[in-house]
Amino acid sequence: MRGQVSRRTVIGFIAPAVFGLAIVGIAPLLYAAWTSLHFFNLIKLKQVKFIGLENYWTVLTDEVFWQAMGRTFFLLCTALPLQLALGLGIALVLHKPGLTILKTLARLSLVLPMATTYAVVGLLGQVMFNQKFGVINQMLGGANINWIGDPTNAFAMIIFWDVWQWTPFVALVLLAGLTMVPGEVEEAARLETKSWWTVLRYVQLPFLLPGLVAVLILRTADTLKLFDMVFTLTRGGPGAATEFISLMIQRVGFRGFDQGLASAQAIILLIITIILAQIYIRVFYKEV
Amino acid sequence: MSIRKLLCSVALSGVMATGALAEGHGWSLAKAAEPYAGTTVDVVFLLRPGYEAIEAMLPAFEEETGIKVNVIKHPYENALGEQVRDFVAGGDLDVVLIDLVWIGNFAENDWALPLADVQAKFPDIVDPDLDIDDFFPLVLNAFGSWNGTTYGLPVDNYSGLMFYNRCMLEEAGFDGPPETWTELKDEYGPALTKDGKYAFALQSKRNETQSADSFARMIWPFGGSFLDADFKSNLNSPESQAGLQFRQDLMQYMPDGIVAYDHAEVVNGFAQGDIAMITEWSAFYSSVVSPETSKVADCVEIAPEPKGPAGRKPALGGFSMAVASQADEAEQAAAYLFIQWATSKANAVEYVERGGVSARQSAYEDPALAETFKYIPALVESWQDGVPEFRPRFAEWPEITEIVQEWGTKMMLGEVTTEEGAQEIGTRMEAVLDDAGYYSGDKPLAQ
Amino acid sequence: MNTTRSLASQILLLFVIIAVCVFPFYWMVTTSLKTQIVALEAPPVWIFEPTLNNYREALFEDGVLRTLINSLIIAISTTVLAIVLGVPAAFALARFEFRGKKDLWFWFITNRMVSPIVLALPFFLIARNLGMLDKHITLILIYLTFNLPIVIWIVTDQFRGIPYDLDEAARLEGASQFTIMRKICLPLAMPGVAVSAIFSFIFSWNELMFGLILTRSEAKTAPAMAVSFMEGYNLPYGKIMATSTLIVIPVLIFALLASKQLVRGLTMGAVK
Repeated sequence: MRGQVSRRTVIGFIAPAVFGLAIVGIAPLLYAAWTSLHFFNLIKLKQVKFIGLENYWTVLTDEVFWQAMGRTFFLLCTALPLQLALGLGIALVLHKPGLTILKTLARLSLVLPMATTYAVVGLLGQVMFNQKFGVINQMLGGANINWIGDPTNAFAMIIFWDVWQWTPFVALVLLAGLTMVPGEVEEAARLETKSWWTVLRYVQLPFLLPGLVAVLILRTADTLKLFDMVFTLTRGGPGAATEFISLMIQRVGFRGFDQGLASAQAIILLIITIILAQIYIRVFYKEV
Repeated sequence: MSIRKLLCSVALSGVMATGALAEGHGWSLAKAAEPYAGTTVDVVFLLRPGYEAIEAMLPAFEEETGIKVNVIKHPYENALGEQVRDFVAGGDLDVVLIDLVWIGNFAENDWALPLADVQAKFPDIVDPDLDIDDFFPLVLNAFGSWNGTTYGLPVDNYSGLMFYNRCMLEEAGFDGPPETWTELKDEYGPALTKDGKYAFALQSKRNETQSADSFARMIWPFGGSFLDADFKSNLNSPESQAGLQFRQDLMQYMPDGIVAYDHAEVVNGFAQGDIAMITEWSAFYSSVVSPETSKVADCVEIAPEPKGPAGRKPALGGFSMAVASQADEAEQAAAYLFIQWATSKANAVEYVERGGVSARQSAYEDPALAETFKYIPALVESWQDGVPEFRPRFAEWPEITEIVQEWGTKMMLGEVTTEEGAQEIGTRMEAVLDDAGYYSGDKPLAQ
Repeated sequence: MNTTRSLASQILLLFVIIAVCVFPFYWMVTTSLKTQIVALEAPPVWIFEPTLNNYREALFEDGVLRTLINSLIIAISTTVLAIVLGVPAAFALARFEFRGKKDLWFWFITNRMVSPIVLALPFFLIARNLGMLDKHITLILIYLTFNLPIVIWIVTDQFRGIPYDLDEAARLEGASQFTIMRKICLPLAMPGVAVSAIFSFIFSWNELMFGLILTRSEAKTAPAMAVSFMEGYNLPYGKIMATSTLIVIPVLIFALLASKQLVRGLTMGAVK
């Protein structure tokens, strides 16, 4: 029968990858689990001691942790719809026939934001959004908007850059979905109705769904991972206005040096990630 | 071996050496360094003028000694983390760069060696002309010593000073800087804040800047403090609260978004002529008077920080360098030679001229120097008497400063009142101190 | 009339898209050519006398050149390693039937979603115990946590698209599975491998957090270097932008050259 091979063959093929990922993926997690059960402070390594679940209790009852978590999901809930709407719009424009050269150019420029180093996006943000010598305020007609120092504006700025960097991704994925729609089906539909919405809803949407699911999965994961851009742009400030979960853990572990507590936070984040990934992949990604 | 005994012997040999030197065969750096030529010393430097000054002087040292100094540059905010990670990992650093608030931490972890131990181990490399009494005692004590033991020699030394733009003040009808904080707020504030210019700026970013430059700077002059005699929070005392409330009131005369301002932004704003007065470290002097980076170089004047109801309590901060315990023998000796050279009396004036701030009393004796470097009188005055525990220097500070930074900025943003914020800081700070064993009597109440 | 109007608005829209995507890079490059005084002009100036000073300082005085080389070494090595380890696993996942296959695939993919901070702390402690801090190999290995999942995700898809009939003959002749993969399937799956290699390279090149925590000087990566210019007493905006340009331009050129594959890769993982 197809695909039936000996156990040894299977192991031979998957072992290198499993082994590699186990070393870099699982061993650290076990170590983190161990650390999370201890009082483990980098600047007090003489006092390491087992404290059971105390770190977990601290995390679960710490409002600061849950505020960071809430902020992270709030970012996801504000940035993702924008990315989807704009991405869909761009995909529809690019999908129309004609203007080939201009569209090729547009497609090429869409690749740029995605490939940009995230840390550099943050640095660029500092320069462009500076209240005084920033070009954004200049383009807003000499506005005097304080982007980096105001909690709401700083959050808006983070949304802006997240949307700038990842809308192209959404657009290209959806565009690929649109091109999967058989030409004659789409043409027939357009003869039936003048409403682009009807065409989108009943003809194109089924082809877009897998892409939308992938976007949902990847954007959720990437928002939980979000660190570089915010670290270089606002460092989580002002106050804690843009302190997302990964930044917070980094701060506790490497600025407060409390690795035990940070490990507990990291493991709770990991559990949340796995649950979400399970839900997404099991619900939407039925194949394999 | 006691320091005192050592100092005596050092002083004594100094006396003898003076005579010997005249004949040309006494202690010399080149000779002392001979066994260690070819050794590389790894050291963390900050991106600040004092370190640029040393770097510029380094070739002379390297040539004379054959010791190579490998400088690893970091912004201040990364320097503690980088060093802690290096020491925890048993890394390469041979010199410990100690901010005043890191001393307890580095000493308790035995990452830095006591100065006396190094000198006893390598008696031949001790410069007879070291003259440790020449350092301002407050500075040596605060930046380099912990629990009565001296670890580091002061290298990059700060006192909080008031930088003011004489031209802006004169234009608004003031012939001098404010004497008190209240005066600054009530008279200078309204008069100087207009047309996109601001009277004052207090660097308050959620960094060490928030706790050191902003929070601590406001509680002390009003009679407040972080801790009371029992090491319990003193932040809800009327005095501390008065200071914190004053900071809130003063914010109307500062640029918007002051909670996002670090040293760089404040110094820039001042140098661009947008801010009339700042209270900043002496170390930034060279940057605001250099025409390359400053539009107001000719208008810069320096005064001591204003007084509060509890008197003048200028911010105190600064760095010393000590020998790292993780270094091997040759590296320890070479590191000591480097530290001794960088902080020496002989090099102090050159260091100052290149933009550094020396902690050598002798360096400031020449009145001509004070004319070029206007910060000198205010600096010398502020070092006569100051509060070493301006920020507590114990090993728990890195955790506590994070708490102060978080709630201090929330206070400024109006997300919590000064009472609520102080309460939060107090509770969390006491939990850290409790864990550390201060309340059970396991640890002496030293800060 | 209506069509001209719609055509005009379409052209306008396309220009807006291009402008929004490209403008930040324009601003980055021009700022990198400004002196500090010009960079701090308010409002910002668009026409000025450019200088290459920032590049000279960054590359040769501050050692950005070395960090770029480090980044290159690390990104290439980890990509190669991810391909070598990932391709056979992908082949097995696509073609063999075995117990736990679904879970294995899921585990591989989940690694892509784990926040690096979860791994950074323990990895730092382990690397410390093994004396592996500030070494290229440490980053090469840890980057596998996100590269291996990418390779496996994309290449599994690619292998699955290859019909069995093609290698039926070879199998009847008794060729081993490894030979089949290498001689028959891998050449056909090359586009997918190339795509996953491009992604691995870009992600590794761009990574910051591990670079920041696990290196100090010897193996310091370019993004970690760019960050360390921040928060000096005098933010050198021109130099920061020059360093940013040096980091970003190579990867952008690479991405543009490989844009066809890149877009294919996005859609391969995403659209099925």
